[in-house]
Amino acid sequence: MTTQTTDAQRGGGLLVVENLQKHYELDGAEVPVVKGVDFTIEPGTFYSLLGPSGCGKTTTLRCVAGLETSNGGSIRLDGDVLSTGDRHVPPNKRDVGMVFQNYAIWPHMTVFQNAVFPLQVSGGRLPKAQARKRAMEALELVQLDHLAERPATALSGGQQQRLALARALAHRPRLLLLDEPLSNLDAKLRDTMRTELRSLQRSLGISALYVTHDQSEALSMSDRVAVMNGGRIVQEASPRELYDRPADRFVADFVGRVNMIPAVVRDRDEHGDAVVEAFGTRMVTPCPGGVVRGEEVTITFRPESIRWHETAPADRPNVLPARVVRVEFLGEIVEYEAEVLHGGTTVGRLTARGAPMASPREGAEVFLELAPHACRVLVDDPVG
Amino acid sequence: MTAAMIVAGVVIFLLLAVPLIVQVITAFRGPFLPFGVASAQWGVSNFVTLWELREDFWSVLGATGAFVGGSTLLSLLMAFGLAWVTVRTDFPFRRVIGVLVIVPYIIPPIVKAQAYLLMVSPETGVLNQLLRLLPWTGDVPIDPYAFGTLILIQALTNVTFPYLMIVPILTNMDGSLEESARASGASWGETLRRVTLPMLWPGLLGVAVLTFILGLGSLEVPLLFGQESGRSIFALKLWTLISSNAGELPQYGLAAAWGLVFLVITTIAFAVYLRATRNAERRASVSGKGFRPTTMKLGAWRIPVAIGVAIFILLTAVLPLFALFWAAITPYPIAFSFTALVEQTQFGSFAAVLADGEFWASLGRTLVIAGGSATIACVAATVLAYGIARSTSTWWTRAVDLFASSSVAIPATIAGFAMFLLFMVINPVIPIAGTVLALVIAYSYRVSIAYRASYSATLQIRTELEEAALTSGASRLATFRRVIAPLLLPTVLAVWIQVFILGTNEFTLPAFLATPESRPLSMYVYAMINPRSAQLYAPDQGAAMALVFTLLVFLIGYGLQWAVSLRAIGRAKRRPGLPGLGSRSGKPPVAPAPDTISIAAQEHQEHRARTKLRTPDAAGSERSVSRS
Repeated sequence: MTTQTTDAQRGGGLLVVENLQKHYELDGAEVPVVKGVDFTIEPGTFYSLLGPSGCGKTTTLRCVAGLETSNGGSIRLDGDVLSTGDRHVPPNKRDVGMVFQNYAIWPHMTVFQNAVFPLQVSGGRLPKAQARKRAMEALELVQLDHLAERPATALSGGQQQRLALARALAHRPRLLLLDEPLSNLDAKLRDTMRTELRSLQRSLGISALYVTHDQSEALSMSDRVAVMNGGRIVQEASPRELYDRPADRFVADFVGRVNMIPAVVRDRDEHGDAVVEAFGTRMVTPCPGGVVRGEEVTITFRPESIRWHETAPADRPNVLPARVVRVEFLGEIVEYEAEVLHGGTTVGRLTARGAPMASPREGAEVFLELAPHACRVLVDDPVG
Repeated sequence: MTAAMIVAGVVIFLLLAVPLIVQVITAFRGPFLPFGVASAQWGVSNFVTLWELREDFWSVLGATGAFVGGSTLLSLLMAFGLAWVTVRTDFPFRRVIGVLVIVPYIIPPIVKAQAYLLMVSPETGVLNQLLRLLPWTGDVPIDPYAFGTLILIQALTNVTFPYLMIVPILTNMDGSLEESARASGASWGETLRRVTLPMLWPGLLGVAVLTFILGLGSLEVPLLFGQESGRSIFALKLWTLISSNAGELPQYGLAAAWGLVFLVITTIAFAVYLRATRNAERRASVSGKGFRPTTMKLGAWRIPVAIGVAIFILLTAVLPLFALFWAAITPYPIAFSFTALVEQTQFGSFAAVLADGEFWASLGRTLVIAGGSATIACVAATVLAYGIARSTSTWWTRAVDLFASSSVAIPATIAGFAMFLLFMVINPVIPIAGTVLALVIAYSYRVSIAYRASYSATLQIRTELEEAALTSGASRLATFRRVIAPLLLPTVLAVWIQVFILGTNEFTLPAFLATPESRPLSMYVYAMINPRSAQLYAPDQGAAMALVFTLLVFLIGYGLQWAVSLRAIGRAKRRPGLPGLGSRSGKPPVAPAPDTISIAAQEHQEHRARTKLRTPDAAGSERSVSRS
């Protein structure tokens, strides 16, 4: 690969991962960790792998970095083959930058020495003066240039993470890899860094592959999010789409909070809507094709899509009588739990969220409205 | 990298396995040497002989068990008490005492044994003189050749070793576990019995095993006292078996059979040690989070404790050095008195030592042997330890790891004897028996100290630090050079110094291997104080030389450590935010996140612990082998 375009902003690369496979050996047995993952990162986009621990997201990232050797499939960056099942470009020849969860700042070097390192070693070696200039630029990007001569260990956690970022960017790689980089920071700092990281990535136009188990990070920063579970990508979409239209129970449950209620399809109409029976009440909801009358399904809706009324609103569909059993004040919002009533008996529970100004009292009998457009039907899958 | 690892592995194999293999072969092959001798043939005749002399066998086994076991128990008790006082109580001068207790560590064991021999001499020994002042004692309060004396002296000689290993165990103990026992209403005594000791038990068992193996390997006290005491102790037995009686061939085969019996014993002990330390990790009494365990208030116990500590320091540091000094300035053994001090003292013996060419020559050899072996051990151990620590754990890497750690299980007596046999066997092809080179190779057998230290130091360096270098575009070699080596260096230097000092003090190995042409200073001192070495015998000059020897070890060892710590302080100055690097004044500008300072801080602490606190065979071995 060429490093000709040294001083120009080079922008991001195109990463194509096809059918990536990785297994570990444990006591002689093969334990599959990544079971055929495909995804493409368009140049300049911020792409997240989201999933619970053990889902294979970090392993996927490490395969892209070259720190793990994949067992099958291919990884290509701008057409250069980085990995096939049996041939692997070593990590130092991949032209990527990586930020680690624990920062991995070298404790025996100063801030500047850390940042200039990628410009002194084989991959991206530059003449001394030029390397210095470039490292200082990278430190400026993360506002650490005034601390350049400080020992790296004398930085705070947030500063260390910035330094790690500067180091990953110093040699202007085509792809930035981030392995849960914010998880060791405290909540407030995490929010700030999230914004900074995103705007930096945008202004540099670099492609980024971000691994996290935190759905709010993934949703807020990414152009595209892939949710992984059990070594596979279960859904890939824009953050909005992922939230509004989760593909299955796992995604619905993992990305944000969700109510799931069992229902039976009673009728279907020509608009793609369906009438289902849940909690003894008939409700209207959009419904994917292929679902037939009599089928048992799950309907899902987000707690914040529930509205409550003191009296039963006339001419509205999907209204359920309920009793509020718990109200929890969380600051910006109030969460409350309600028992759905049918003919005087409790038939189920729902969690709802709303603005703190107008929240129901504990013990109040209310009417909950589930707007049809906020509902979604999931066909029960055995994995669920 | 791989090639370097293989070379290192082979070196360690040659150092540890080959001599023992030769010894085993010798035990089963012939009364003399196993190869190149007409009489050599396979068989169990050596074991038959051992059985025919079973009265002798049982008496040696019994005497050795009583001697090594008794002294181990005694030194553990003393060490635990002292460590407790210095670490866990509010005893007033505990810091000073912590330093004084380490003084015996810098005195070479042969010098210590010599000093005790002088101290307990029936007529002129200063200890006997002092004890005679007590109303209830007889003419000779301490009989130097009584078996009990032997055990006590051995315990005093080796006590610093368990002390230095127990201190970190007590320091790193999670105090909150004791505090919760206290909060549940338990008294100090109950807490100690019900919580502290059960928690420390595996660690202490590990210390006991290593002290036992150290005891089995020390020849100094048995050699100086045991010959007269009439008890035959293993170390001495082995040593006498290989020296030929007039007109007879030395019985190497029988000695090898003896060695094998004791090798089996230490292997069992080592297995116990492995189990103990593995359990220690499972119980996780050591979390190393840098908290301070609570201290016990001594109250009225202060006075008896102070008396006990004073007696200990008197017995291990003050009186031995005094006895040596007195012997050096008196022309022949006389009891201390002020008249003698005024009329009979002279300092000619020191001048004689400094004017003695052989003294300087053996000093030079000591430095070459200790330096050479420390270098071989450190280089081979570091390379192999790095490779093993960084490879995925398979039965093969676990086996290599265990093997490279196994020299702690080999008593110096057996190592010395096995090396001796090896050099005899290869002499027709590679004639190095009895040379300085042979000693360099033999001394390097302590490679496991360096291996364990480098292994745990490598584990301290998180792999991400390497991965960050790789993804930054650095090759494997550049990663090692720029990231790993600088982070490992402090540990390697500290261990080098430790192995080096151990080498300068070494006596057992050269006792088996050295000739007058290759002998190091420790052997030369022994020759001077040994009445059997007719021409050289000069106890006053021997005492003077012992003092000069001790002083030199002190100066060289601590000089080196000082140089290394200067370097560390230099780094600390460039690294203001680091706690524990001596920047007590002024808080660090920004508090570093806990997990990020850990490498550097731990690295530094480990380094300090190793240079100042750890000892010979142990170097981090209490944390240990089972880490694999």
